[in-house]
Amino acid sequence: MACLSAEKIIALDEGDLNAIEASRSRDHLLLCPACRLKADHYRYLNQALSRPMFSEPPAAMIPNVLQRLYPALPRYTSVIAAIAASLVFLITWIYIYFDFSSSSLIQALRLTADGTSGWLVNTIKAISAVYNAAQAAFKAGNALLNMLLPAPLATAVIAGSLLACFSLLAFLFIGFMRKKVHAEKS
Amino acid sequence: MILDEDQILIKKTLRGERSAYEELMRKYEKKIFSFVIRMVRNEDVAVDLTQDFFFKIYTVMDKYNFEYKFSTWAYRICYNLVIDHIRKNQSQVDSLDDDSISPHELFASENVSREDGFKNLVREETRDYVWRVVDQIPLKFRELILLRYIQDLKYEEIAAITSLPVGTVKNRIFKAKELLKQEMEKDGMLVC
Repeated sequence: MACLSAEKIIALDEGDLNAIEASRSRDHLLLCPACRLKADHYRYLNQALSRPMFSEPPAAMIPNVLQRLYPALPRYTSVIAAIAASLVFLITWIYIYFDFSSSSLIQALRLTADGTSGWLVNTIKAISAVYNAAQAAFKAGNALLNMLLPAPLATAVIAGSLLACFSLLAFLFIGFMRKKVHAEKS
Repeated sequence: MILDEDQILIKKTLRGERSAYEELMRKYEKKIFSFVIRMVRNEDVAVDLTQDFFFKIYTVMDKYNFEYKFSTWAYRICYNLVIDHIRKNQSQVDSLDDDSISPHELFASENVSREDGFKNLVREETRDYVWRVVDQIPLKFRELILLRYIQDLKYEEIAAITSLPVGTVKNRIFKAKELLKQEMEKDGMLVC
Protein backbone atom coordinates (compact mmCIF):
# COMPACT_ATOMS: atom_id res chain seq x y z
CA MET A 1 0.00 0.00 0.00
CA ALA A 2 1.24 3.50 -0.86
CA CYS A 3 2.02 5.94 1.91
CA LEU A 4 -0.96 7.67 3.50
CA SER A 5 -1.82 11.23 2.53
CA ALA A 6 -2.03 13.86 5.23
CA GLU A 7 -5.77 14.12 4.61
CA LYS A 8 -6.21 10.41 5.18
CA ILE A 9 -4.16 10.52 8.37
CA ILE A 10 -6.28 13.35 9.73
CA ALA A 11 -9.49 11.60 8.68
CA LEU A 12 -8.29 8.44 10.44
CA ASP A 13 -7.50 10.40 13.59
CA GLU A 14 -10.93 12.01 13.55
CA GLY A 15 -12.75 8.77 12.82
CA ASP A 16 -13.95 9.94 9.41
CA LEU A 17 -12.81 6.85 7.45
CA ASN A 18 -15.04 3.86 6.86
CA ALA A 19 -14.19 0.61 8.62
CA ILE A 20 -12.28 -0.97 5.72
CA GLU A 21 -10.23 2.11 4.92
CA ALA A 22 -9.52 2.72 8.58
CA SER A 23 -8.34 -0.85 9.03
CA ARG A 24 -6.07 -0.66 5.95
CA SER A 25 -4.65 2.64 7.08
CA ARG A 26 -3.91 1.32 10.55
CA ASP A 27 -2.17 -1.71 9.05
CA HIS A 28 -0.07 0.59 6.93
CA LEU A 29 0.87 2.69 9.95
CA LEU A 30 2.17 -0.43 11.67
CA LEU A 31 4.52 -1.10 8.79
CA CYS A 32 5.55 2.40 7.71
CA PRO A 33 7.63 4.46 10.20
CA ALA A 34 7.42 7.61 8.05
CA CYS A 35 3.62 7.57 8.01
CA ARG A 36 3.56 6.67 11.69
CA LEU A 37 5.67 9.71 12.49
CA LYS A 38 3.40 11.90 10.38
CA ALA A 39 0.34 10.48 12.18
CA ASP A 40 1.99 11.10 15.54
CA HIS A 41 2.61 14.71 14.55
CA TYR A 42 -1.01 15.28 13.63
CA ARG A 43 -2.18 13.57 16.78
CA TYR A 44 0.10 15.80 18.79
CA LEU A 45 -1.30 18.86 17.04
CA ASN A 46 -4.89 17.68 17.51
CA GLN A 47 -4.26 17.15 21.19
CA ALA A 48 -3.06 20.73 21.54
CA LEU A 49 -6.01 22.07 19.56
CA SER A 50 -8.49 19.97 21.51
CA ARG A 51 -7.55 21.75 24.69
CA PRO A 52 -8.31 25.29 23.62
CA MET A 53 -7.14 28.29 25.57
CA PHE A 54 -10.14 30.32 26.62
CA SER A 55 -9.81 34.01 27.23
CA GLU A 56 -11.37 35.34 30.38
CA PRO A 57 -13.85 38.11 29.62
CA PRO A 58 -13.86 41.19 31.86
CA ALA A 59 -16.02 40.77 34.94
CA ALA A 60 -18.03 43.89 34.12
CA MET A 61 -19.11 42.63 30.72
CA ILE A 62 -22.32 40.83 31.70
CA PRO A 63 -23.44 43.48 34.22
CA ASN A 64 -22.99 46.06 31.44
CA VAL A 65 -25.16 44.06 29.06
CA LEU A 66 -27.79 43.55 31.74
CA GLN A 67 -27.79 47.25 32.49
CA ARG A 68 -28.44 48.00 28.83
CA LEU A 69 -31.18 45.40 28.59
CA TYR A 70 -32.86 45.93 31.93
CA PRO A 71 -32.40 49.57 32.82
CA ALA A 72 -33.42 50.37 36.38
CA LEU A 73 -36.58 52.39 36.60
CA PRO A 74 -35.76 56.06 37.14
CA ARG A 75 -35.68 56.90 40.80
CA TYR A 76 -38.50 59.45 40.53
CA THR A 77 -40.86 56.73 39.24
CA SER A 78 -40.47 54.85 42.50
CA VAL A 79 -40.90 58.05 44.51
CA ILE A 80 -44.08 58.96 42.62
CA ALA A 81 -45.40 55.42 43.12
CA ALA A 82 -44.70 55.62 46.84
CA ILE A 83 -46.43 59.01 47.13
CA ALA A 84 -49.43 57.74 45.14
CA ALA A 85 -49.67 54.65 47.34
CA SER A 86 -49.54 56.81 50.47
CA LEU A 87 -52.25 59.13 49.18
CA VAL A 88 -54.55 56.26 48.25
CA PHE A 89 -53.89 54.74 51.62
CA LEU A 90 -54.61 57.99 53.45
CA ILE A 91 -57.89 58.62 51.67
CA THR A 92 -59.03 55.03 52.12
CA TRP A 93 -58.03 54.98 55.71
CA ILE A 94 -59.82 58.26 56.55
CA TYR A 95 -62.84 57.18 54.57
CA ILE A 96 -63.18 53.81 56.26
CA TYR A 97 -62.08 54.82 59.71
CA PHE A 98 -64.49 57.73 60.02
CA ASP A 99 -67.34 55.83 58.36
CA PHE A 100 -68.23 58.11 55.52
CA SER A 101 -70.90 55.78 54.23
CA SER A 102 -73.37 58.56 54.45
CA SER A 103 -71.13 61.01 52.63
CA SER A 104 -72.46 63.05 49.78
CA LEU A 105 -70.51 61.00 47.22
CA ILE A 106 -72.03 57.69 48.31
CA GLN A 107 -75.44 59.25 48.61
CA ALA A 108 -75.14 60.70 45.14
CA LEU A 109 -74.09 57.38 43.74
CA ARG A 110 -77.01 55.60 45.40
CA LEU A 111 -79.46 58.18 44.16
CA THR A 112 -78.06 57.85 40.66
CA ALA A 113 -78.42 54.10 40.88
CA ASP A 114 -82.01 54.38 41.98
CA GLY A 115 -82.91 56.43 39.00
CA THR A 116 -80.91 54.55 36.39
CA SER A 117 -80.79 51.09 34.92
CA GLY A 118 -78.34 48.88 33.11
CA TRP A 119 -74.55 48.74 33.49
CA LEU A 120 -74.30 51.92 35.59
CA VAL A 121 -76.56 50.48 38.29
CA ASN A 122 -74.55 47.27 38.32
CA THR A 123 -71.28 49.16 38.49
CA ILE A 124 -72.47 51.30 41.37
CA LYS A 125 -73.80 48.23 43.15
CA ALA A 126 -70.47 46.46 42.68
CA ILE A 127 -68.55 49.45 44.03
CA SER A 128 -70.94 49.65 46.93
CA ALA A 129 -70.59 45.93 47.66
CA VAL A 130 -66.80 46.12 47.60
CA TYR A 131 -66.91 49.16 49.81
CA ASN A 132 -69.31 47.51 52.30
CA ALA A 133 -67.20 44.36 52.39
CA ALA A 134 -64.00 46.36 52.94
CA GLN A 135 -65.64 48.37 55.65
CA ALA A 136 -67.02 45.27 57.38
CA ALA A 137 -63.63 43.57 57.23
CA PHE A 138 -61.96 46.68 58.54
CA LYS A 139 -64.42 47.00 61.42
CA ALA A 140 -64.06 43.34 62.34
CA GLY A 141 -60.28 43.61 62.26
CA ASN A 142 -60.39 46.81 64.22
CA ALA A 143 -62.65 45.29 66.87
CA LEU A 144 -60.40 42.26 67.17
CA LEU A 145 -57.27 44.36 67.48
CA ASN A 146 -58.95 46.62 70.03
CA MET A 147 -59.67 43.55 72.13
CA LEU A 148 -56.07 42.44 71.94
CA LEU A 149 -54.16 45.72 71.93
CA PRO A 150 -54.55 49.16 73.46
CA ALA A 151 -56.50 51.51 71.15
CA PRO A 152 -53.66 53.71 69.77
CA LEU A 153 -51.54 50.68 68.99
CA ALA A 154 -54.41 48.94 67.20
CA THR A 155 -54.89 51.97 65.02
CA ALA A 156 -51.20 52.10 64.24
CA VAL A 157 -51.15 48.40 63.31
CA ILE A 158 -54.11 48.81 60.98
CA ALA A 159 -52.65 51.92 59.42
CA GLY A 160 -49.31 50.17 58.90
CA SER A 161 -50.93 47.10 57.37
CA LEU A 162 -52.97 49.16 54.94
CA LEU A 163 -49.94 51.19 53.93
CA ALA A 164 -47.98 47.99 53.35
CA CYS A 165 -50.81 46.57 51.23
CA PHE A 166 -51.00 49.63 49.04
CA SER A 167 -47.23 49.84 48.66
CA LEU A 168 -47.17 46.20 47.65
CA LEU A 169 -49.88 46.80 45.07
CA ALA A 170 -48.00 49.82 43.72
CA PHE A 171 -44.75 47.89 43.35
CA LEU A 172 -46.49 44.91 41.76
CA PHE A 173 -47.96 47.33 39.26
CA ILE A 174 -44.50 48.79 38.55
CA GLY A 175 -43.08 45.29 38.08
CA PHE A 176 -45.86 44.42 35.66
CA MET A 177 -45.28 47.61 33.67
CA ARG A 178 -41.53 46.93 33.53
CA LYS A 179 -42.07 43.42 32.16
CA LYS A 180 -44.51 44.78 29.60
CA VAL A 181 -41.97 47.37 28.42
CA HIS A 182 -39.24 44.72 28.05
CA ALA A 183 -41.58 42.38 26.20
CA GLU A 184 -42.40 45.17 23.75
CA LYS A 185 -38.71 45.96 23.34
CA SER A 186 -37.78 42.38 22.54
CA MET B 1 -41.53 19.26 22.17
CA ILE B 2 -38.85 18.56 24.77
CA LEU B 3 -36.79 21.65 25.44
CA ASP B 4 -33.13 21.51 26.33
CA GLU B 5 -31.50 23.57 29.06
CA ASP B 6 -30.78 26.55 26.78
CA GLN B 7 -34.28 26.58 25.36
CA ILE B 8 -35.82 26.61 28.83
CA LEU B 9 -33.68 29.62 29.65
CA ILE B 10 -34.84 31.31 26.45
CA LYS B 11 -38.48 30.72 27.32
CA LYS B 12 -37.90 32.24 30.74
CA THR B 13 -36.04 35.19 29.21
CA LEU B 14 -38.91 35.81 26.84
CA ARG B 15 -41.21 35.87 29.85
CA GLY B 16 -39.06 38.68 31.22
CA GLU B 17 -36.87 36.78 33.68
CA ARG B 18 -33.64 38.69 33.91
CA SER B 19 -31.86 35.93 35.84
CA ALA B 20 -32.51 33.43 33.03
CA TYR B 21 -30.79 35.59 30.47
CA GLU B 22 -27.93 36.22 32.85
CA GLU B 23 -27.50 32.45 33.24
CA LEU B 24 -27.53 32.00 29.48
CA MET B 25 -24.88 34.68 29.05
CA ARG B 26 -22.69 33.22 31.78
CA LYS B 27 -22.86 29.86 30.05
CA TYR B 28 -21.62 31.21 26.73
CA GLU B 29 -19.54 34.27 27.59
CA LYS B 30 -16.20 32.49 27.73
CA LYS B 31 -16.60 30.62 24.47
CA ILE B 32 -17.99 33.63 22.65
CA PHE B 33 -15.39 36.02 24.00
CA SER B 34 -12.55 33.60 23.24
CA PHE B 35 -13.82 33.22 19.70
CA VAL B 36 -14.26 36.95 19.15
CA ILE B 37 -10.94 38.01 20.64
CA ARG B 38 -9.06 35.51 18.50
CA MET B 39 -10.89 36.72 15.45
CA VAL B 40 -10.38 40.45 15.97
CA ARG B 41 -7.16 40.31 18.02
CA ASN B 42 -8.06 43.37 20.05
CA GLU B 43 -9.44 43.09 23.55
CA ASP B 44 -11.47 46.33 23.58
CA VAL B 45 -13.08 45.52 20.26
CA ALA B 46 -13.73 41.96 21.43
CA VAL B 47 -15.48 43.20 24.57
CA ASP B 48 -17.65 45.58 22.54
CA LEU B 49 -18.52 42.92 19.99
CA THR B 50 -19.32 40.33 22.66
CA GLN B 51 -21.60 42.80 24.40
CA ASP B 52 -23.24 43.68 21.08
CA PHE B 53 -23.70 39.98 20.44
CA PHE B 54 -25.53 39.40 23.73
CA PHE B 55 -27.59 42.51 23.12
CA LYS B 56 -28.49 41.36 19.63
CA ILE B 57 -29.37 37.84 20.77
CA TYR B 58 -31.75 39.35 23.27
CA THR B 59 -33.44 41.59 20.74
CA VAL B 60 -33.95 38.86 18.15
CA MET B 61 -34.70 36.08 20.62
CA ASP B 62 -38.39 36.05 19.74
CA LYS B 63 -37.38 34.98 16.22
CA TYR B 64 -35.50 31.93 17.49
CA ASN B 65 -36.91 28.67 16.15
CA PHE B 66 -37.08 26.10 18.93
CA GLU B 67 -36.63 23.24 16.45
CA TYR B 68 -32.93 24.10 16.15
CA LYS B 69 -30.10 24.08 18.63
CA PHE B 70 -29.69 27.44 20.32
CA SER B 71 -25.89 27.28 20.21
CA THR B 72 -25.76 26.91 16.42
CA TRP B 73 -28.17 29.80 15.95
CA ALA B 74 -26.26 31.96 18.41
CA TYR B 75 -22.84 31.13 16.92
CA ARG B 76 -24.12 32.05 13.51
CA ILE B 77 -25.20 35.46 14.76
CA CYS B 78 -21.86 35.87 16.51
CA TYR B 79 -19.95 34.80 13.41
CA ASN B 80 -21.85 37.25 11.18
CA LEU B 81 -21.36 40.05 13.67
CA VAL B 82 -17.61 39.48 13.79
CA ILE B 83 -17.24 39.03 10.05
CA ASP B 84 -19.20 42.24 9.43
CA HIS B 85 -16.89 44.07 11.78
CA ILE B 86 -13.80 42.62 10.15
CA ARG B 87 -15.04 43.47 6.66
CA LYS B 88 -15.67 47.05 7.73
CA ASN B 89 -12.13 47.25 9.09
CA GLN B 90 -10.53 45.06 6.46
CA SER B 91 -7.39 47.14 6.13
CA GLN B 92 -6.37 46.09 9.61
CA VAL B 93 -6.56 42.38 9.03
CA ASP B 94 -5.49 39.81 6.52
CA SER B 95 -7.49 39.03 3.43
CA LEU B 96 -10.52 36.81 3.71
CA ASP B 97 -9.92 35.46 0.23
CA ASP B 98 -6.24 34.82 0.26
CA ASP B 99 -5.83 31.15 -0.57
CA SER B 100 -2.25 31.21 -1.74
CA ILE B 101 -0.33 32.05 1.35
CA SER B 102 2.80 30.15 2.19
CA PRO B 103 3.87 29.36 5.71
CA HIS B 104 7.04 31.40 5.20
CA GLU B 105 5.11 34.50 4.18
CA LEU B 106 2.66 33.81 6.89
CA PHE B 107 5.13 33.79 9.71
CA ALA B 108 7.75 36.09 8.25
CA SER B 109 6.54 39.20 10.01
CA GLU B 110 4.51 38.06 12.93
CA ASN B 111 5.44 37.91 16.52
CA VAL B 112 5.17 34.27 17.46
CA SER B 113 8.04 33.74 19.79
CA ARG B 114 10.53 31.22 18.51
CA GLU B 115 13.41 31.68 20.83
CA ASP B 116 15.20 28.88 22.54
CA GLY B 117 14.38 25.33 22.98
CA PHE B 118 10.80 24.62 22.17
CA LYS B 119 11.86 21.02 22.04
CA ASN B 120 11.92 20.93 25.79
CA LEU B 121 8.70 22.73 26.42
CA VAL B 122 6.14 20.97 28.49
CA ARG B 123 2.72 20.09 27.24
CA GLU B 124 1.00 23.24 28.45
CA GLU B 125 3.57 25.39 26.77
CA THR B 126 3.10 23.45 23.57
CA ARG B 127 -0.57 24.19 23.76
CA ASP B 128 0.12 27.89 24.38
CA TYR B 129 2.45 27.88 21.42
CA VAL B 130 -0.04 26.17 19.10
CA TRP B 131 -2.78 28.60 20.03
CA ARG B 132 -0.48 31.57 19.54
CA VAL B 133 0.27 30.26 16.08
CA VAL B 134 -3.46 29.81 15.47
CA ASP B 135 -3.85 33.53 16.16
CA GLN B 136 -1.51 34.27 13.29
CA ILE B 137 -2.96 32.16 10.52
CA PRO B 138 -5.19 33.82 7.90
CA LEU B 139 -8.71 34.58 8.97
CA LYS B 140 -10.36 32.14 6.58
CA PHE B 141 -8.51 29.27 8.25
CA ARG B 142 -8.50 30.71 11.73
CA GLU B 143 -12.28 31.16 11.90
CA LEU B 144 -12.82 27.49 11.12
CA ILE B 145 -10.24 26.30 13.62
CA LEU B 146 -11.90 28.48 16.25
CA LEU B 147 -15.37 27.22 15.44
CA ARG B 148 -14.12 23.65 15.48
CA TYR B 149 -12.04 23.75 18.64
CA ILE B 150 -13.17 26.75 20.70
CA GLN B 151 -16.87 26.31 20.02
CA ASP B 152 -16.49 22.55 19.73
CA LEU B 153 -18.70 22.29 16.65
CA LYS B 154 -19.05 19.52 14.09
CA TYR B 155 -18.15 20.08 10.45
CA GLU B 156 -21.82 20.18 9.49
CA GLU B 157 -22.57 22.82 12.12
CA ILE B 158 -19.62 24.91 10.98
CA ALA B 159 -20.86 24.65 7.42
CA ALA B 160 -24.30 25.86 8.51
CA ILE B 161 -22.82 28.80 10.40
CA THR B 162 -20.38 29.93 7.74
CA SER B 163 -22.58 29.04 4.76
CA LEU B 164 -19.70 27.04 3.28
CA PRO B 165 -20.01 23.52 1.87
CA VAL B 166 -18.96 20.81 4.32
CA GLY B 167 -16.18 19.76 1.92
CA THR B 168 -14.73 23.26 1.93
CA VAL B 169 -14.86 23.39 5.71
CA LYS B 170 -12.99 20.07 5.97
CA ASN B 171 -10.48 21.15 3.37
CA ARG B 172 -9.74 24.47 5.01
CA ILE B 173 -9.36 22.90 8.43
CA PHE B 174 -6.98 20.41 6.89
CA LYS B 175 -4.98 23.24 5.29
CA ALA B 176 -4.95 25.10 8.59
CA LYS B 177 -3.53 22.03 10.28
CA GLU B 178 -0.93 21.72 7.56
CA LEU B 179 0.16 25.29 8.25
CA LEU B 180 0.28 24.66 11.97
CA LYS B 181 2.17 21.40 11.55
CA GLN B 182 4.73 22.99 9.26
CA GLU B 183 5.32 25.76 11.73
CA MET B 184 5.63 23.34 14.61
CA GLU B 185 8.10 21.21 12.67
CA LYS B 186 10.13 24.27 11.83
CA ASP B 187 10.36 25.14 15.50
CA GLY B 188 11.17 21.61 16.52
CA MET B 189 7.90 21.18 18.34
CA LEU B 190 7.08 17.90 16.68
CA VAL B 191 9.79 15.57 17.82
CA CYS B 192 7.75 12.62 18.98
